[in-house]
Amino acid sequence: MDRRWPFVVFIVLLIALHLFLRVGLGLGFWVPDLLTVALLLAARRMPAGYASGLGLAIGLIRDSVNLTTFGSDAVVLTILGYFGSRTRDYFVGDSMFFLAIYLFIGKWVHDALYFVVARVVGVRDAVSTLLIEAPLAAGYAALAGLVLFSAYRAFARER
Amino acid sequence: MPSYFESRKGRRRETLIAGIFLVLALLLYFLPDNYQAPIRRTVRVTVLRPFMGFQAAIADQDTRSVDVSGIRAQRDSLVAVLAAQAPIVEENRRLRALLGLEERAAPTFMPARLVRIGISGGESTFLLNVGTADGVLAGSPVVAAGGLVGVVREAEEHTSQGVDWTHAEFRASAMTADGAAYGIVEPRPGRFREEDLLTLTGAPFHSDIPAGTRIVTSGRGGVYPRGLPIGVVLGIDEADTGWRKSYILRPLVRPESVSHVLVGRKPEGSAAWDVANIWFVPAPPDTAPRGGSGDAAGVAGAGDDR
Repeated sequence: MDRRWPFVVFIVLLIALHLFLRVGLGLGFWVPDLLTVALLLAARRMPAGYASGLGLAIGLIRDSVNLTTFGSDAVVLTILGYFGSRTRDYFVGDSMFFLAIYLFIGKWVHDALYFVVARVVGVRDAVSTLLIEAPLAAGYAALAGLVLFSAYRAFARER
Repeated sequence: MPSYFESRKGRRRETLIAGIFLVLALLLYFLPDNYQAPIRRTVRVTVLRPFMGFQAAIADQDTRSVDVSGIRAQRDSLVAVLAAQAPIVEENRRLRALLGLEERAAPTFMPARLVRIGISGGESTFLLNVGTADGVLAGSPVVAAGGLVGVVREAEEHTSQGVDWTHAEFRASAMTADGAAYGIVEPRPGRFREEDLLTLTGAPFHSDIPAGTRIVTSGRGGVYPRGLPIGVVLGIDEADTGWRKSYILRPLVRPESVSHVLVGRKPEGSAAWDVANIWFVPAPPDTAPRGGSGDAAGVAGAGDDR
């Protein structure tokens, strides 16, 4: 069997898990942002063009409930997918330490870009949003991403 | 899986593909709202549908398992109130008939289940399980027992989506419960979502609204019926160069705690609608009945709902 498929299934499951926990069970923002985690993990193994396409698709899912700034997350995740894939040029390998920092920074950058693109600027306090809420959410997402990715590695017997 | 080191040509091609996707995303971002709505709807009724259906099923289950003794007590109280009001309503109807006044336009309310969407971008929005088939339209007010929750923005056949008062674009024409001062109520974002409050802006500078005063919708602009409670004055927010004052309000309904609501349906053929009697709001001084025109709630102008 092609070795890519278990990883594709893992990414799809991450997206489904996010929607199930946040929308299906109504847990909302208690659940870490697994959509961004899924994109960041997938981008490390995809060509940059396709990674940005995946970002666009995930962004559309999110934007489907956005009544005023539709398309903002699609723009942000398209950019994030591209640069997530480009990190392969500079950082080789997927050590847990690297992944923790990668997911943390990736999620933080997402929240910061979204804050600008979705025109939240001027609506909410930038300092508390970008320096308190965003790092906390990034840390939570990175931790969840690491746990889930470790489980996947153990299951798929990846080194 | 791509190799870690792509050729320069491969990299250029990938950048080009990413550029095309970015242009697509930007197109979506800048599309006019009437073109965005069908795309939003398509994703909602396909990808998100099973998850939203699951949440609705859980909410139904929760409703069924609620302690019935509390509901029975509420019902008994309502029956008592209705029984006490029945002679007054009848007397009022006869007096109006004698004076040749039209019936006050009374909206009907549709019970609905409110589902929150825990996805970023949808923080201040909600979905309702009622739609155009139930008489719900874009602009229908959404209320809970305490007062105004928000307004429907998009209505489909059996579902609709709305925004609550924490949304940056929420505005409502409002007045003090005695009708002494009018203004516009808008959200006042706190550092965190839980700290969000409301502001009554544009109140006349000479008005002095004491803390604790109830603020209700004025009915102007025709979006919200007159008399829906919104909040209670906490104090002055700012005085703007001697022309007007803003007051901070404590909202009467926290949207995050609401799961079942009533959606207002405007009475047919009526420009104005009034629910003041439901929340015991007295008739304001500028809305004395004038033969056949009902109250002045439908008058457009300064202080209208947006």
